[in-house]
Amino acid sequence: MGAVPQLIVSTVLLGGIYALIAVGLTLIFGIMRVVNFAHGEFLMLGMYLAFWSFTLWGLDPYVILLVAVPLFFAIGLLTYALVMRGVVKASHNVQIFTTVGLSTALQNAALVAWTGDFRFVRPWHSGVVIRIGEAAFNLSQVVAFLVAVLFTAALVAFMKWTRAGRIMRATAQDVEAATLMGIDTDRVYRLAWSIGLVCVGIAGVLMSPLYSVYPTAGLQFVLLAYVVVVLGGLGDMIGALLGSLIVAGVEVLGSYYLGSAWKEVIYFVLFIAVLVFRPAGLFGQRGSETLGA
Amino acid sequence: MSKRGRLTAIVLLIAVTLVSAALIRGTEGQALQGEYKIGVLEPLTGALAFEGKRHLEGYEIMRDMINERGGVMGKKLVFVVGDGVDPTAAASEANRLITREGVKIITGTYSSTLCGAASEAASRQNVIYWESSCVDPRYSKRGLKNVFRTEIDGTGFGWYNVEFIAKHLAPRFNLKPNQIKIAFLSEDSSYGQGVTEAARERAKKDFGMQEVAMEYYAFASTNDFSPIVAKLKQVNPDVVHHIARGNDAVLFWRQSREQNFMFKALVHAGATGYGSPDFGKALGSEGNGPFVLAEPSVGLRLEAFRPEAQKLERDFTEAVKKRAGTEPYASHRLAGAGLWLLKLVLDQAKTDELEKFRSAVMSMDLPVGSMLNGWGVKFAENGQNANERVQHYMLQWQNGQMVTVWPEEFSTLRAKWMPLPAWDQRK
Amino acid sequence: MKRDVPALVLFGLAALAPVVTRDGFLLDSLILILLWGAVSGAWNVAGGYAGQVSLGHSAFFGLGAYSAALLATRWNQSPWLGLLVGALLATVAGLVIGYLANRLKGPYFGLATIAFSQVLLILASRWRAVTSGSEGIPVPFRPGFATLGFQSKIPWVYLVLTLAIGIYLVARYLETSRPGYQLAGVREDEDAAEALGIPCRRLKVAAVAASAALTSVCGGLWAQYVGFVDPFYVFSVDLSVRFALNSIIGGLGTAIGPFVGSLLITSLETYLRATFSDFKAGLIGIYLIIYGCLLIVVVRFVPQGLVGWIGERLRAMGRYARA
Repeated sequence: MGAVPQLIVSTVLLGGIYALIAVGLTLIFGIMRVVNFAHGEFLMLGMYLAFWSFTLWGLDPYVILLVAVPLFFAIGLLTYALVMRGVVKASHNVQIFTTVGLSTALQNAALVAWTGDFRFVRPWHSGVVIRIGEAAFNLSQVVAFLVAVLFTAALVAFMKWTRAGRIMRATAQDVEAATLMGIDTDRVYRLAWSIGLVCVGIAGVLMSPLYSVYPTAGLQFVLLAYVVVVLGGLGDMIGALLGSLIVAGVEVLGSYYLGSAWKEVIYFVLFIAVLVFRPAGLFGQRGSETLGA
Repeated sequence: MSKRGRLTAIVLLIAVTLVSAALIRGTEGQALQGEYKIGVLEPLTGALAFEGKRHLEGYEIMRDMINERGGVMGKKLVFVVGDGVDPTAAASEANRLITREGVKIITGTYSSTLCGAASEAASRQNVIYWESSCVDPRYSKRGLKNVFRTEIDGTGFGWYNVEFIAKHLAPRFNLKPNQIKIAFLSEDSSYGQGVTEAARERAKKDFGMQEVAMEYYAFASTNDFSPIVAKLKQVNPDVVHHIARGNDAVLFWRQSREQNFMFKALVHAGATGYGSPDFGKALGSEGNGPFVLAEPSVGLRLEAFRPEAQKLERDFTEAVKKRAGTEPYASHRLAGAGLWLLKLVLDQAKTDELEKFRSAVMSMDLPVGSMLNGWGVKFAENGQNANERVQHYMLQWQNGQMVTVWPEEFSTLRAKWMPLPAWDQRK
Repeated sequence: MKRDVPALVLFGLAALAPVVTRDGFLLDSLILILLWGAVSGAWNVAGGYAGQVSLGHSAFFGLGAYSAALLATRWNQSPWLGLLVGALLATVAGLVIGYLANRLKGPYFGLATIAFSQVLLILASRWRAVTSGSEGIPVPFRPGFATLGFQSKIPWVYLVLTLAIGIYLVARYLETSRPGYQLAGVREDEDAAEALGIPCRRLKVAAVAASAALTSVCGGLWAQYVGFVDPFYVFSVDLSVRFALNSIIGGLGTAIGPFVGSLLITSLETYLRATFSDFKAGLIGIYLIIYGCLLIVVVRFVPQGLVGWIGERLRAMGRYARA
């Protein structure tokens, strides 16, 4: 069938984009156990960063990536100090609603500052199409995918082989034991939060040539990112990458065979099924969802 | 009562009083000498904010033009604005405008879901609801005497699109209407569904077109059209009827190009998606080709309008350019035309009292070409401006902008690329 | 009985309001405060009393709204019947999701409920044959008691007030009855409760189902009051968050908490929106920025809810006075 190669390519490329967003979220959710409702808004901020840099100074989004990393890290530190630190030890509800408030504030700050108009970033590579056989892909999509994979790999290496990474994983597993071992959990959380924001900020920059930029752009991706994170297992980076591919696959194949009207029903039902039968995720360890909760 | 109980009661009482005091601002009634106040209700925050804002701009510009031309009933027209971000807010704000600000007429509202709730609230207090934009057909079918709409309803869009495809495009493809293979693609909001279903029905019933695909998608969460494009390629449609809402138009067009999906024409309706200047901003000349049923633009033969309308149109366009820096968007025009018509009615009725207002509305009878966007005026008993009088135009993307190509007596430019040639040959 | 003093004050003031003022805006605000308070109270049965913090309660609200609207428009029945049908449907839905999500803890339960409400949203917006799809359902206004068609706001005040008092009494029942104590046990320490032989699963599911039914009744009344059922609004995550928010700000697991929370949040929102509406179109969003920041601050500094906070202040004052 002629469409299959294209469907595979679309799944992979779309999965890459979802992975970028999910990797940051799984870090935050996995280590801090915080449901960050504002995650999409940081994505949106990344997109606007790319847009304004491109419009005002003609800078290509890939150049802005270099600036985005330290910038979003700084934003992470700032928002942690101002908003998140106070609620890290609080109940889930408090955390959820803190991030809800943050989400509302950020969305409307963007609306007031930059209006609700749809903006576009059109660097030279957004129109370049690569064709291999029957499949066509867009250069910007390919780059986003490659960066997602690289970033995930870097994060996995960081978590596995560096001291800081091990400390973070320990805190995720059992925060009381970690404290008893002398780990400064506040610093761990701050780092996790900031790295998480860097990931999603970069995702925004990379996605800016592909999607419109507007204040509520983050909403599109947030719920989906949660589905990926749950599927892949909390705090599990590779799980996030695999989960992204699964969700992208469900979307693409669901759209093709059943009609795009039902694709969301499919992945929400899948989501509920995973939550009910394997809450640790398809790739996570059994029971890990209760640890540190 | 215990000490604690008493204290609790006192504290709560104080809290409640403070809050209530904050809410009490004193009713500002109607008629400061020389001013006439109406309410304007639009979504100014939330997902529809960008269109609500333009709507409001159109209203404000036209209000200034009206005040330069003698105001309304001899008084200066002023606005009081409400933010109808969702149905509850729309009803609530409508209520506030009526009870707190004392308006007798509310206009707005851009979105179908908002105009329903707001007009319900208005009708319970016998306040006139003057809708200029929402297209839900049921708006005028509730038997409400105070509810009016200047814009055509959604079924009209679908109707016109199919008319265009059958009478104007089919001959260019050397096909009879019942030989046309048509694929329907649409975002699934109330607008998309309303227009698409009307188009589907007409295509089948009146012309016997062959429907080869019907795909609804969720605008907010559709990030990739390639599976849909792949699917449509398999059924090989002649015409794609795509109702888009925003960047979905850009995504679909771009991905169709990437996958070399060939079709003879694409038709859309309305000011969103392909009908938004954002489509051209995103794609430039690569966006050449789609047809859009919308308010007129470049290439409009103003001479086809009546002289008063020509002057209005020119002044309006200039004012919009000065204030917003762009050509008028469709939402500017809809608001402007709606407000101007309101002025005409009020000047004739000389009052906002419902009975006399209604008869003034019903007595308006202006031919096509009379209003700033080329409309005529003739209201039906249910308060709906007749579809036949609301002139609609088919535009096409050429050279990175939307130009007016149909009806031919209203346009200086002509449609190109029927059928659409290969993707890289559309210059 | 002395616990009920705040409620008597609040509800008493609400009952007196239509006598004291005829201002349509104030009455409308009061109705919304009571209605949102009532839904939040219904939410609280599951969230505060059973510890099942749901972020998808709009699923039940929407079921209630659609039932009332459909019965009135499609089958020409009285919306009162619609309230009943909605409650039945919601109970079933509540049993389903309550059972499925039973073992989930914390944020997972919340996420599962969100997914559930979104599935219902998609169904409602696509099933054109029954629900008119995305176009929603305009609810006709037919004057009369049987059709819940009241021209004036005053009957609405008393109707919603009755509902609010009813839900308040349900919450008080949970505070003073045996099943209620058992539920509290399940909420505080499920393992211990299990060990004592309390049927935890059954209680939790029952709580969710009861909460669902009450929520849907509120949804049905809302549909008649506002007059338009839009699937993207009635099943939205925003609404679910609102219900939970009022209870949390007011005081999770207290009977009067949701109403206090609603009083603060709804008034604030209405007031801010009214004050800022005259700004240049682009700047209107400022009121929501303020709203978001306020949320962050209140949730952070008063996490036990206003009712708990006021209680603590009073106790502190009492101690001081005695010393």
